Amino acid sequence: MTARDRNVLIVVVLLAILGAGWMLVVSPERGKASKLATQISTAQATLSAAEGKLSEAHNAQAQYATAYAAVVGLGKAVPASDEVPSLIYQLERASSSKNVDFSSITSTLSSSSSSSSATTAAAASAAGFSQMPFTFVFSGSFFDLEHLFAQLDRFTLRTPTGTLQVSGRLLTIQEVKLAPAAAGGVASSNQLSGTISAVAYVLPGTQGLTAGATPLSPSGTSATVSGSGSSTPATPAVVEATP
Amino acid sequence: MRAVNLIPAEQRGGSSVGAGRSGGVAYAVLALFAGIAVLAILYGIASHQVSTRKGQAASLEARAAQAESAAQQLAPYTAFAALRQARTQAVESLVDSRFDWAHAFHEFGRVLPFGASLASLTGTIGKLATTSGGSKSSSSSSPAASVGAVSSVTPPGSIPTFTLTGCAASQDTVAETIDRLRLINGVSTVTLSSATKPGPSGSGAASSGGGSGGCGRAVTYNLQVAFQPLPTTTAAAAAATTRTVSETTTGGSK
Repeated sequence: MTARDRNVLIVVVLLAILGAGWMLVVSPERGKASKLATQISTAQATLSAAEGKLSEAHNAQAQYATAYAAVVGLGKAVPASDEVPSLIYQLERASSSKNVDFSSITSTLSSSSSSSSATTAAAASAAGFSQMPFTFVFSGSFFDLEHLFAQLDRFTLRTPTGTLQVSGRLLTIQEVKLAPAAAGGVASSNQLSGTISAVAYVLPGTQGLTAGATPLSPSGTSATVSGSGSSTPATPAVVEATP
Repeated sequence: MRAVNLIPAEQRGGSSVGAGRSGGVAYAVLALFAGIAVLAILYGIASHQVSTRKGQAASLEARAAQAESAAQQLAPYTAFAALRQARTQAVESLVDSRFDWAHAFHEFGRVLPFGASLASLTGTIGKLATTSGGSKSSSSSSPAASVGAVSSVTPPGSIPTFTLTGCAASQDTVAETIDRLRLINGVSTVTLSSATKPGPSGSGAASSGGGSGGCGRAVTYNLQVAFQPLPTTTAAAAAATTRTVSETTTGGSK
């Protein structure tokens, strides 16, 4: 073996030793570190998501009173039960204010003879709401009836800013028939009989108006639930209802 | 002269410079130690990273679990907020999907020309515009009704259709009525079903012309007015907002 061969052999052995050291000792540790880096980024993502949820929950807790009032307010537009007396009361008040005579109200849901689209659509639910088709008959002049329709729309409307304004029952008018009103068998000069097919809405039976929530806390919590580090108690909701 | 090799005998034969007596093994050992030292440093760094990152991951996981737990405790509030949002959206979509009947009536009252009057009117949502009589269209099943899973009884795409019956002073007035009805914002078609003038005796044609009668010697007309299909809820909301702003700006016309 010449000196040159010996040197080559030494270098090869040296490299083999260092390579083995790298492969067996250093590389696995670096692999572990890399794996942990991935684990950290995953944990960071999980933490961000959890903190987002927590922040959302805190926000929901802080806004609870407003949300409760809003849900109760929406109950005027879509109540938990049929609330027919309230509907009649609202219609009577609206028609009186517009010089229109509120003649009759008929629930077409129970009418087997009706073949109108209202009855056919009664089984369908609208956005999770049950539908209650009605037929109303009003008497008044053309323009008084026009004002009445506007008033019915104003029970629940969107303001120019896009927010909902609820002052009465949400009604969707499907059909309107105007014909000369016969007073004592004789057609009146400018009085019209307006027959309106409309649909009112009711919350699903499985939900209450507030789904079990109270003014102090939603269902499933005590009134003193607080998040981590948050000791702010839920503000009692105050709802003002005008008849 | 004889050449003399002045290189010492042990250093002859191509041996490397500086190999020394060990023949370079010493250098190899030094290199080995240096390599091992580098490996040890790298291992130390990696090991330190592992321990640091382990702690960091554990801390992050603990914080995430804590946040999850806290969020879970407040889940009813989140659920209630979601309930509020869902109900609000549902009511908003129903409000936006309504046809503005008052506006249509207001426009009818505004555009009818002098000499034309309205005896009866039937308006329906969801009927396609046809030239058949009003009584037939009002009793037939509508496309809206056949779509059982719709979210509104007046879904987007439904066509508001009106059947107008009334009296006009002359056939010219009927023509003017048609022209003026076409001016209403949102009206797509105005179709004449009939315009009947009574005979010289004042009977017969008028009473059988499909009108409600009571026009005397005037022309009894029957018209079908179809509006544009109801827009999608977002477009309807935008249109309603625009119109409300416009009406507010003009101060109303009533």
